[in-house]
This record gives sequence, C-alpha cells and structure tokens, in this order.
Amino acid sequence: MWYPTWALRRPDVSPDAPHQAVDDSNTVVALNPLAHDAGVRVGMGRRAAEALCPTVVTIERDQSADMARFEPVVERIESIVPRVEIADPGRAFIPIRGAVTYYGGEQALIERINKELDTFGGDYRLGLAAGPFAAWQAVQQTSRDSRVFVVTDDDAFLSQLDVSAIGSEELAATFRWLGITTLGALGELPYDAVISRFGRQGMDAHRIARGMGRSPSPRDIPPDPGVESSFDPPIQDFEQASFIARNLAQRLISGLAPHGMAPHRVVVSVVAADGTERVRSWRSADPFDDHTLTDRVRWQLRAWIEGVSAGIRGGISFLRLEPDDLSGSGRQLSLAEDAKETMEMQRVLMEVQAIAGPDSVLVASPQGGRDPAQQVLWSRWGDDPVSHARDTDAPWPGRIPSPAPALVPPNPVPFVVSWADGSPEQVRLASRWVPVLSWAGPWRSVGRWWDGEGMADRYQIVTSAGAYLCEVKDGKTYLLGVYD
Amino acid sequence: MVADIEPIAPVTPVDARDRGREEIFSLSPGQIAGLTGIPGSGLTRVGLSLIAPYAAQGHLAYLDVRGWASPLTAWELGIDPERFIVVRTDDIVTWGRVVGTLLDGMRGVYAEIPHGVKDSALRTLAARARTRRTPLVFRSLAGKLPQGVVHLHLKAREVAWEGTGQGHGALIRRRTLLDASGKATRGMERTIEIEDDGTNHMRVVPNLGTQTSRRFA
Repeated sequence: MWYPTWALRRPDVSPDAPHQAVDDSNTVVALNPLAHDAGVRVGMGRRAAEALCPTVVTIERDQSADMARFEPVVERIESIVPRVEIADPGRAFIPIRGAVTYYGGEQALIERINKELDTFGGDYRLGLAAGPFAAWQAVQQTSRDSRVFVVTDDDAFLSQLDVSAIGSEELAATFRWLGITTLGALGELPYDAVISRFGRQGMDAHRIARGMGRSPSPRDIPPDPGVESSFDPPIQDFEQASFIARNLAQRLISGLAPHGMAPHRVVVSVVAADGTERVRSWRSADPFDDHTLTDRVRWQLRAWIEGVSAGIRGGISFLRLEPDDLSGSGRQLSLAEDAKETMEMQRVLMEVQAIAGPDSVLVASPQGGRDPAQQVLWSRWGDDPVSHARDTDAPWPGRIPSPAPALVPPNPVPFVVSWADGSPEQVRLASRWVPVLSWAGPWRSVGRWWDGEGMADRYQIVTSAGAYLCEVKDGKTYLLGVYD
Repeated sequence: MVADIEPIAPVTPVDARDRGREEIFSLSPGQIAGLTGIPGSGLTRVGLSLIAPYAAQGHLAYLDVRGWASPLTAWELGIDPERFIVVRTDDIVTWGRVVGTLLDGMRGVYAEIPHGVKDSALRTLAARARTRRTPLVFRSLAGKLPQGVVHLHLKAREVAWEGTGQGHGALIRRRTLLDASGKATRGMERTIEIEDDGTNHMRVVPNLGTQTSRRFA
C-alpha cells in the first residue's frame, strides 16, 4: 500500500496550487498533480524544480508528523489484515496470504481494502505480489488512473523490469554498458561470475534479479535479541519518549552487532498505563542501523502519543523492540573494536543521559579557530557527527599557540587586571590582588569586521598562582582560559 | 595542530634510576588519585595524564562540574577525541549516581567533586572503582579530600612557567611542585616536580628536593 504524495497530505497544502515536498538534501520526494503537469518529477533537486515551475510551493518533509497522520490509516487496515508492516509514512506492506483465503480471493480483499482506504481519500496505490520486493516494484507500476497492480508470476514480472530496480544506479549503469538491461538478463548471468566481478554488491543484485530475496539469516542468533524497558512513572512527554527510543534502538543494534547481523523488520510494542497494548511492525529493505531505527521508533511513538487515535492513555509504562527478519548484512566490526566493551560503554552513557539529561553527555571534535573555545566543536553523544566543522588546516592568523588552557569558560567572563603603560601589573583573583610575573602577547584577533565585530587583543598572563589567557576588547578585559 | 598529536606517551621519568617517582606517578586499574589545589596549578593536566594511558583501551570520561573543561588538553595528551566523553552536570543530588555509573563502563574517570558531597559518598565511589578496576581521579573543588579514600593524593604547591617575558614570547613549559601522599608513597609525604611542555610528554623531574621550589617563587 503506497501513498506517493503522503508528504503533501497536510492541512497547509492546497490542491489548487502546485506543491512539492523536499527531504533534508533538498530532493523532491512528493508532488501534487499540478506540479507534475508543470514538469516537476520526484528525485529532482529543489532548485531545478523551482526553475521548471516558479510558482511551486515547497514544503519540507516532516516524517514524524507524517507518521502521526498515517497511523489511523494503518489502524484501519489492521482491522482487516493483521500485522501490517510500515516501511515509511505513507508506505506499508500488508501480509495478505491468510486474508485472501478469509475474504474469498484477492479481488474481494482488494475491494475491502479499497473501501477502507476510500474513507481517507487521497491518491493511494496497491501492488500485489508474492514477496515484498516484487510488491514494491508492482505498486510503482500503478498510476492515478490505475491504482492496483496485481502480479501473478513474480519471476516473470521481475525479469522484465529495468536493471535499475536493483537500487544502485552506479551498478545499473555498469550492467547497461555491458548490454544487460533487465533483471531477467542479469539473473541469467552465471552466479559465480557476477560475484567474482562485482563482489558483495553484485551478489545482492543477482539475488534480487532471480527473485531470491535476501541472504538467509545468520547461523548464530541469540535466544532473545529483543530489548525492553519499563517506566515508572509512565512517559507522557514525546521528547522523553524519543530519548528512550534512541537508547533502546542503540541497545538493540549494538546487541546484534557482535553476531554480525541486523534486522530488516522490527516490532515496536508498548503498554500504556491503563494496560492497553499497542504493537506495530516496521520494515526496511536495507538493514536497520541505530539511526534509522531510532527514527522509526520515534515516529511510531509520536503517532501513538500525539496522534488522533490517542492510543496511549496515561503514558507509556513499557516499551519493547523486537527484531525480526535478521540478515547477515549487519555492521562489520573493525579489527580493533571490542564489541562487548563498546556495548557496555554505550549502555553506561545512555544511563548517564537518563540521570543527568541527554544534553549533559558530550563529545568534542577538533575544528579550526583562533581561540581555544573556537577550536572545539561540541555535539551531544549519540547524535550524528556535526558536518560543519571549520577547517583545521586553514592558517587562522592570530591563533593562540599551544599549550592550550585546560579550563575554558563557555563564554568570556570579566577579568580584573590593572594595567600600567599597556602592561599588566596585577590581576584580581577572588578577593586579593596578585602581581603579574610575566606576560606575552598581544595576539590580535580582527574578527568579522563586516559583521561589526571589533578587534581584540589576547594576552597570556603569568602569576604565582598560575597562567591565564585573557582578551582585551573595547577597553575591558575578559578571561578566555586558565592553564590548569 | 591538535589532530597531528603523536600517539600517547604518558608521564615519563627522565631518569630511569628514579623508579620511586615513576611508580608514584601512575594509576593502576582500580586505583584512585585525589587532586587538590587552586585552578591554574596544572592539576587538570596532571589528572588527565594519569588516566590517559587507558584511552588506548577504551573511553575516558571527564565529569565537568564547573562547565569549563576543554578537551584540547586531553587531545594534547594524546587522547583520541572520539574516546573522550565530557559529562556536564553540577547537580549535587545526582553527582554520585553519575560517577558510579561511569565507573561501570568507562576505562578511566576524571571527576570534579562539587562542594557539599559527603565523605561517605566518596568512600562508596572509591570502593566501586576498586571493584570495577576503573582508575579514578577525584578533583576536589572544595580543596580537601577525606582521609583514606585515595591511593595517591597530589596537592599543588607551586607552579612556574617558562617562555614568557615582559610582553614577548609565549607559554612554553610549566614546572609544578606537588606534595604527594597516600598509600602510593607508603604513607610518607614526598615532593614531586612535574615538567610539562604542553605536548603529550609530561615528565617527572628527578633529583629535586623541596628547596628547589625557591627557584620558581
């Protein structure tokens, strides 16, 4: 089941104007018919789309909010067919093997699903096939006029698909250059030859082309790979829930990593304070990692907590993540990585975050800058690495030479220094004046003069109590660091 | 540049004959060091250098009560940025729980002690560090530590810098005089002089007595 324009199903989107939704990389992921008629296509860059259709209204995709709106649709489908697996907000896999028998055939089931989905309106599509990969390919063959595509023979259907269906444009281009344009042609190539030439990537592509799905589950599966946590008092706040979601997702993925595997399907189950139990499955073509899984769990929890279905009454008292459909495509451990130690470290830091708050656990990375505070880029532990670090190899004129002060205030603090003829004579430490033994500087920092930032002179001042890095700016002295 | 720092080379005695000082100035797994002295006396670098060798095996944590900790010093000591975790909290109520939790999963912990922490809490944490075999450095912001908690107590006495003049030069080298006591010194109070030139080498300078401090006064 697929809603191609789900990201545009928002109250602020008007059907009378061209609209497009873009993701974090400013790539178009959904568009309405007016934008489509103007030449905009999914996968275009935002600028290119706006050049084609200057009147297009661009909205940024919010998958968390999208999921909150998608939850009632999933609930409605689950009232007909249990164990629906969500892939993204707007896309779900419905296991229909048992339901087809129950409702008396595929056509009857499709009519029943159509009836339920029609109550929500919108442009929805259905693709029926024996496996998830073929079903996803089938639903992409649909159009606004023909919303259902049924595959009767998966092998025959897949064999005529373009080779780009393997998911890697680069590899598909290589196959095309070799004269292999369809999945059928790729599947007919000798298996050993494809592995020998294209390695793991080629092996996966060949398996897809032959309709074989993923590699089988690894041999050594731990008895209970699920993770769970109970909460007393129950969690009612979404921010708190997302923090817990991240902790559990990281625990789950890192628990499976030593076994060299990762899940393609994860069952999220919660128990509300009033005893209500909610369960939802999430599926991914690629194995989940901690970031993708965290996102899914957060979206699901938000849908339950803030969604219109109000499925969690009194807050969450229990949360469990259970992996399923495990494959050996999990993360590869590096030679030096001690998986057990890493797991223990992660568990401990999550616990510290739970005690002291998620913003209290920090990691830092080097970046360029003139002052010690500028040379450190802080980020919250567990978050994605910050990508906008300043260049450490740039010259940074006026940079304070090493050694660096061990204590650096988050913001410069006023520092009382008595000056005589431009030289520091005494500094005030607590309630007493301490004579300056020696000093060095100034290192002049010009700053962003185009932004109105003034010049500043930095000095290293040595006293019998220690050495200090200070800055004189606009006639006032500030402490930048203590050489502790 | 920080990123160009060579692999870790912790505190190194310049004189191999001076084994006593080398043994004093190191922390084995599960041992606890206590640092007392005013900010500026070089104790942060000293404390981090004690646990820096453990960064080769895992992650180190710095419990930053003041909110002023700068990782630049840790990086200069050769600690991999990815293996240096800073925990910022000034909540005295949860401080003990945070330290105790860190001791369970970190290879080394440097913890600033806020004002008002009870001696019994420090003793409990010290026992936990010994049980978990995690080296722990306490930096007391109140300037005192209870008796018998730490294996090595280092108290800053004097600090002297070289390299700066009257408006020229730059800070190059620091010599810090420390009074060492505790089980590491077999109950006797000894004086140690640390020479630190800002790189990942800190040296215990041998053959110095207490009277040498006058050179830097």
